[in-house]
Amino acid sequence: MSAANENSPRLTQFKNKGKDVTELRRRRIEVNVELRKAKKDEQILKRRNVSSLPDEATSPLQEKSQNCQAQHWTVEEIVNGVSSTNLETQVQATQAARKLLSREKHPPIDRIISAGLIPKFVSFLSLVESPPIQFEAAWALTNIASGTSDQTIFLLLQSGYLRNVTWTLSNLCRNKNPAPPLDAVKQMLPTLLHLLHHEDKEVLADTCWAISYLTDGPNERIEVVVETGVVPRLVQLLGSGELAIVTPSLRSIGNIVTGTDDQTQAVISAGALSMFPALLRHHKNNIQKEASWTLSNITAGRDYQIQEVINAGIVPYLVEVLRRGDYKTQKEAVWAVTNYTSGGTVEQVVYLVQANILEPLLNLLSTKDSKTILVILDAISNIFLAGEKIGEVEKLSLMIEEYGGLDKIEALQSHENEMVYKASLNLIEKYFSGEEEEDECVAPETTTDGYAFQISENQSTFNF
Amino acid sequence: MELNDRNLQTLTEYLQKTLSPDPAVRRPAEKFLESVEGNQNYPILLLTVLEKSQDEVIRVCAAVTFKNYIKRNWRVVEDELNKISDPDRTAIKANIVNLMLSSPEQIQKQLSDAISIIGREDFPQKWPDLLTEMVTRFQSGDFHVINGILRTAHSLFKRYRHEFKSNELWSEIKLVLDTFAQPLTELFKATIDLCQTHATDINALKVLFSSLALISKLFYSLNFQDLPEFFEDNMETWMTNFHNLLTLDNKLLQTDDEEEAGLLELLKSQICDNAALYAQKYDEEFQPYLPRFVTAIWNLLVTTGQEVKYDLLVSNAIQFLASVCERPHYKHLFEDQNVLTSICEKVIVPNMEFRSADEEAFEDNSEEYIIRDLEGSDIDTRRRAACDLVRGLCKFFEGPVTGIFSGYVNSMLTEYAKNPGVNWKHKDAAIYLVTSLASKAQTQKHGITQANELVNLSEFFVNHILVDLKSPNVNEFPVLKADAIKYVMTFRSQLPKEQLLESVPLLVAHLQAESIVQHTYAAHALERLFTMRGANNATLITPTEMAPFTEQLLNNLFKSLAVPGSSENEYIMKAIMRSFSLLQEAIVPYIPTLIGQLTHKLLLVSKNPSKPHFNHYLFESLCLSIRITCKADPDTVDSFEEALFPVFTEILQNDVQEFVPYVFQVMSLLLEIHTSSIPSSYMALFPHLLQPALWERTGNIPPLVRLLQAYLEKGAAAIASTAADKIPGLLGVFQKLIASKANDHQGFYLLNSIVEHMPPDSITQYRKQIFILLFQRLQSSKTTKFVKSFLVFINLYCVKYGAIALQEIFDDIQPKMFGMVVEKIIIPEVQKVSGQVEKKICAVGITKILTECPALMDTEYTKLWTPLLQALIGLFELPEDDSIPDDEHFIDIEDTPGYQTAFSQLAFAGKKEHDPIGDAVSNPKILLAQSLHKLSTACPGRVPSMLSTSLPAEALQFLQGYLQAATVQLL
Repeated sequence: MSAANENSPRLTQFKNKGKDVTELRRRRIEVNVELRKAKKDEQILKRRNVSSLPDEATSPLQEKSQNCQAQHWTVEEIVNGVSSTNLETQVQATQAARKLLSREKHPPIDRIISAGLIPKFVSFLSLVESPPIQFEAAWALTNIASGTSDQTIFLLLQSGYLRNVTWTLSNLCRNKNPAPPLDAVKQMLPTLLHLLHHEDKEVLADTCWAISYLTDGPNERIEVVVETGVVPRLVQLLGSGELAIVTPSLRSIGNIVTGTDDQTQAVISAGALSMFPALLRHHKNNIQKEASWTLSNITAGRDYQIQEVINAGIVPYLVEVLRRGDYKTQKEAVWAVTNYTSGGTVEQVVYLVQANILEPLLNLLSTKDSKTILVILDAISNIFLAGEKIGEVEKLSLMIEEYGGLDKIEALQSHENEMVYKASLNLIEKYFSGEEEEDECVAPETTTDGYAFQISENQSTFNF
Repeated sequence: MELNDRNLQTLTEYLQKTLSPDPAVRRPAEKFLESVEGNQNYPILLLTVLEKSQDEVIRVCAAVTFKNYIKRNWRVVEDELNKISDPDRTAIKANIVNLMLSSPEQIQKQLSDAISIIGREDFPQKWPDLLTEMVTRFQSGDFHVINGILRTAHSLFKRYRHEFKSNELWSEIKLVLDTFAQPLTELFKATIDLCQTHATDINALKVLFSSLALISKLFYSLNFQDLPEFFEDNMETWMTNFHNLLTLDNKLLQTDDEEEAGLLELLKSQICDNAALYAQKYDEEFQPYLPRFVTAIWNLLVTTGQEVKYDLLVSNAIQFLASVCERPHYKHLFEDQNVLTSICEKVIVPNMEFRSADEEAFEDNSEEYIIRDLEGSDIDTRRRAACDLVRGLCKFFEGPVTGIFSGYVNSMLTEYAKNPGVNWKHKDAAIYLVTSLASKAQTQKHGITQANELVNLSEFFVNHILVDLKSPNVNEFPVLKADAIKYVMTFRSQLPKEQLLESVPLLVAHLQAESIVQHTYAAHALERLFTMRGANNATLITPTEMAPFTEQLLNNLFKSLAVPGSSENEYIMKAIMRSFSLLQEAIVPYIPTLIGQLTHKLLLVSKNPSKPHFNHYLFESLCLSIRITCKADPDTVDSFEEALFPVFTEILQNDVQEFVPYVFQVMSLLLEIHTSSIPSSYMALFPHLLQPALWERTGNIPPLVRLLQAYLEKGAAAIASTAADKIPGLLGVFQKLIASKANDHQGFYLLNSIVEHMPPDSITQYRKQIFILLFQRLQSSKTTKFVKSFLVFINLYCVKYGAIALQEIFDDIQPKMFGMVVEKIIIPEVQKVSGQVEKKICAVGITKILTECPALMDTEYTKLWTPLLQALIGLFELPEDDSIPDDEHFIDIEDTPGYQTAFSQLAFAGKKEHDPIGDAVSNPKILLAQSLHKLSTACPGRVPSMLSTSLPAEALQFLQGYLQAATVQLL
């Protein structure tokens, strides 16, 4: 019986042991089209009475034009500029202030404060019609806020401002089309890192949201964030118990583990896994779902990373989630299991089976979603491959039959989805086709017309 | 092709002819139509005939032809001829919806199918106005038109239920939702209103309810992938109406038909599916509605009758409850003792009853009854659904549910006891209930493996099962007898051995029952009991324990095969096989009779083989008879040949394809038993075995190779002396097999046997050709499987003929060939060789190359010596390399044969693994050490210096271990 009775997309996606990890990792956005209501986004926006984010062709974080690079404005020029009635001039002046404040050596924080610019910048934050000025003002303010402690006291007193600033920043970070330029992100990160230690919960939450937006992208972007050393703090916040903070910090962690093995390792090394038992039992379904998704990307990593998952005692919780989680959580947990079985060692897979993964996994074969079914069938196939290596195939087949899995797999042979029915057929043929009725597949061949034993005359040189 | 009357006339004539029963008229007409279908206007002509013809039959015929034409040709495949011109495509799309809607139903269905085929390719991008065109018709008020649209929409949208999520798919769904969801909702409401307006008009209601059923199906498709915003916003409308429809009963819509589900059942069944979909996937949003649906569905179940027409509805409804009741947060809906009692009483128990339809099947359609009842193909039945509900409820309420049912079981048994003749069905239901309550986990191999601890299975056996098994009249109450037998079989792993032993003679007696189900169950139960294992993996029931019943068992098994309807009963034949296997030498005294009966059966079924499993077990039983008898006395093999060869000859002569591979296997088994020379009867057959016709059938290849191997093992000398002219033909078979990636390993099996057994002189002249063929394959289409077999073969050759012979023949074919093979094949690939014997052959062969081949020591090959040694140590010490190159993953798929050619291997004809080296070398590591020692004695100093210069330290360490174990030293 052939082991390769699979079609190619499946093979590259899960089957090969020399699998492509990036294929197993699943980014947050698989499908851009949404059928559902966009609930969460709506809530975030409502909080600040902003109707919607501008859907501009360019992000406010893009440096808009080269020609307005007003270098080295004096503080006086800035004061004049922001007082102008012309919006464009105000933008340029605020940008000039931000640049002054962003410079590495001796940013003129005191002078900006004493020029009375802060109230002006704060008022710009509410100019919804001009995202660029919101952004520049927010950035300028955070630069002031993250300056030396002496100077910041002044601003911290008005912490309501800081909330607005952080929120604006975070909303600006979420722009996707296009994403903020990397240089701008790099400049902003120290500020965010600083804010991540602030005691105000709203500030913390919004900063975490900002980081979650920045990490929601390709590996280079994740790298910029990870390099700042922010991960341990995020992990701390994961355990803060505040839903408003846990949600975005979990999102950030979840995004980071969609990256490379090293980026994932940064999360593991920061002790994130010890938070997962609580997250997987969180009273909010959404946290359970996000945690399972995050876990699925960790189990898509190397076997030593899977071992860390085991060592952290997470597997029983994964089984639990698979058994009792809500539908969306179960779907993510299925991925976590399949990735685990795909990259795990034989011992690790055995441990998973001993932890009673099979029953809840097989129950989910009645899920009304073809993809999830296929992913489960793949996990079963992976588990069998491990079973083959230790001669436990028969025992596995019996266990699967006992849990009612065989009936379900048999029923899937008539599934409308071609890949699902092929995968189930393949499992049945390979592992469930009777005791002594092993079919052996041997194929017809098409060469030679007779059986005269002879060799062709014109044999070229052999070279292997 | 112009669109004119003459062409229409011609087309009509040809369509007419395609309806002719006479193939001489029909076929040419079909051919003609196919030959002109590539012409522009052809589909338009077809549609015109469909629309304008006066002849109803021709119109339908045109519709079917049109649909098939679309099915074959609409899809544009790259690099293939596009048979439909663009103007025709445009014209078809512009007219087909209208045409469909104005056609009578029979034609409408064909055109609707055609639309969905076109839609699959063109919708939405290339057919942007389809949806709006459809939606506009909703306002027509004509429900004939509306149902046509709904049907078409259903065939367009149903793929949303099973396709994978993708941007493309979801964009399409979004587009459909934007245009379709609102009008569909309006239509839904309007239709429901109309149902009230026309509540007394049966004809109107029928049309309206088919609309509602279709709308419900569309709802399912549109909501399948995710919960659309629109439907979330309009959940109240939909769910309230669905709920109302579930609770609705209209006397007018009730049908008299007992079998066929009516419109009302179809609609409610779909609504159950819709509710189940929401409960599973959109639990959070659906929660407020769920309790209402649970109540409605439960009421529905309580009020629905036992007729077959309700089966789908009932099993869907029960499955809905089963899926909800095991969810933690809905536990409270079922917790109340009254609710539980009511579900048990009014939903579960009634649906477990043995119905008259079951009774009919038991008597008249035993085969189907057995498949459904025994093999679990009962997925959609009420009993199965009720069982699933019991299991679901037991997750949280095992105690209470068991309690409630115990009361029921007792009262049903009491009813039965009052008047068994009338009330026997109560006992049937009681047994069924106990079984479903007690079964927590089950496998075919072991029966129930986990049971509900609250049910005392053993006590029930004693009190209620044994009575029926012991009943002196085996033909009374056959259903209850079958139930009792099934109980033993099902709970065999749970019942104590004494009770099983007590059952055995009773089961043997039931083999004589007239009822097919009953004696089949008895055979099956015995067969299962005989496979059970006790301590030390021995059979639980021993031949000694069976001794008192052996004769009766064998007699009754064969007697039951004589019952009409059971003459090819696979369960009985399997029980015969299993009995032989269990009883072993105890069957020897009966063999003369048994073999006569088996060969007689074989002769009968070979006329028309129709039951593959029966036939398989028949051959297995033959093999067992041979093995068991010849083990005691090998000389009896002649008598088997005498009994079997006439039938075998007939099978081979008549070329009974299903049986030929079996015959070869039995012959191999027989031939291998012979200890002296090969009988002449086999030699006479030898030339026939080389005939291409046999080898063209892939199912024959493995058993034929095996048979030829047996010939070589027993008769190599005879072949060399009396059939030397057949050697090229034998090698021709090898060449044929080696040419195929799928069969090359079989070719190597044959070649290995030739090398091992044929007298060397007889094949000297062919050796070079053999190697050239292998090198050609290696050059042109190397695969891992081939390389592995190749390595085993060349090493076997080396063991047999010596390392020098191997090196010389390689270098004779092409200068430096030997070095190339060592460097490019042996060293890098030997780690892939799998199998104990195969590895041993390679180890011994390589040892010989290393130590008995001067060329490897003294020529430019010397540089390969240490790497080859290292590869050998790797073969000993490292894990097997089971990697397969990427490009080989697909080899098997293209060679996969069709089902009919699959080869069925007989377990009891199997031969033990053959080790051509055998005891000559018990430990290849020691052999290596000794051989190296011998080599170093011949040329002192050289071996240690080669080792110290380039063998890695780790390998060296292993090697020193071998030398120590062999107590030798290198000089």
